[in-house]
Amino acid sequence: MNHDEISDLLGAYALDAVDPDEHAAVDTHLRECARCRAEVQDHRETAALLTPSSGDAPEHLWQRIAGSLEASPPGPRLAPVEGGTLERPRRVARAMVAALAAAAVIVAVLGVQVREQDQRIDQLQSALQDPLGPAFQAALTDPRSQVFELASDDGQLTLRGVIAADGTGYLAAAALPRLSRDRTYQLWGATGDQLISLGVLGPHPDIVTFPADPYTAFAVTEEDRAGVVASTNAPVVVGSTT
Amino acid sequence: MREDDLTQASDAQLVVAIGRWRQDALAEAYRRHGGAVFALACRVLTDRLLAEEVAQDVFVRLWHEPGRFDPQRGSLRSFLLAHAHNRAVDIVRSEEARRGRERRQHQERVRVSAGEDVEGDVWDLTVAEHVRDALGLLPPGERQAIEMAYFGGKTYRQVAASLGEPEGTVKSRIRSGLRRLRDNLADLVWEDSREP
Repeated sequence: MNHDEISDLLGAYALDAVDPDEHAAVDTHLRECARCRAEVQDHRETAALLTPSSGDAPEHLWQRIAGSLEASPPGPRLAPVEGGTLERPRRVARAMVAALAAAAVIVAVLGVQVREQDQRIDQLQSALQDPLGPAFQAALTDPRSQVFELASDDGQLTLRGVIAADGTGYLAAAALPRLSRDRTYQLWGATGDQLISLGVLGPHPDIVTFPADPYTAFAVTEEDRAGVVASTNAPVVVGSTT
Repeated sequence: MREDDLTQASDAQLVVAIGRWRQDALAEAYRRHGGAVFALACRVLTDRLLAEEVAQDVFVRLWHEPGRFDPQRGSLRSFLLAHAHNRAVDIVRSEEARRGRERRQHQERVRVSAGEDVEGDVWDLTVAEHVRDALGLLPPGERQAIEMAYFGGKTYRQVAASLGEPEGTVKSRIRSGLRRLRDNLADLVWEDSREP
């Protein structure tokens, strides 16, 4: 199907009113075409208005939902991320340990900058466009928070992060160069000699949150779309909180 | 975010809290959108028990995979309703539902030919007035195609077959009808779907 044929289907697609083969064809097209994605989203927002918002949610149904959650094991995860998959802790690749060790040096050099909290508020204006912006800003201005910076090898690219008193980490990642859709950034936390995937960030992350405890060093790598269990790529940016 | 702030939190902040396994955040998301999710599933499935299963599925999935919601792309409400609709339609189209579906299709043909839709009339009373007005402004063919597809869980081909219209016509009417609705409601869509 060409673009026009796909376009004709978008209304029906948004209402789940297409056959499975058409659904698959539209799905494929949407991965490539931002304009059609936006149109589908528009149709879905419109369709959502056809459902009354005033109806009460049945209480017994909430009891049933809540009851079914008790079996779910809480663990660290990243949210919200695009297509994020959470990896179990793995042994760190040696190349990454070396990279993080090197990073500690860079961070030491940049350390003075990192501790100058006051100067960085105005640099966060772009970050405030994000729905997470206010939470990020609140964490940043809380004296109990720990502020850190991730930097590239050449020091040209720096990302600011903060770990709130409750252990939630925020990273303003908008400065990362936009990747193609088949690539993704992935966030890692280091503790001892272990490097643990904290989440797949997508090709163009803005502000992300992650469970920061107990990590003291972080790195971002570029990977294939689904992310990897253990990275062998050199980090795009690295840094630590100490 | 403190416990007592959840009712003031934006939908996007709620999802972040859900990402931190905060069940009270999921409860607040359910309080805000559970009624609509359940109502839409009821309307499509015409079966409360099945609709409860769909609603449960929607919120349990939000609990386990909050990262699937991207606040940049749209509202949490439309995200949850799209998931509920998709699940409900799957059920409607499954073999197990074949009998009930045939019965409902028959009833709907009767209603359509009689020019009234009793269930829809009740539903319409609870839809916001301006949305109702905007729907009423649509050409009847567009409104009918959208309602049969969205609420009836039919494909555009099935809608075309039961109306005796060409498939291409029904396909176009759904798209043009949704656009017309959106244009009529443009300001409203913004107010309702975006977080303040």
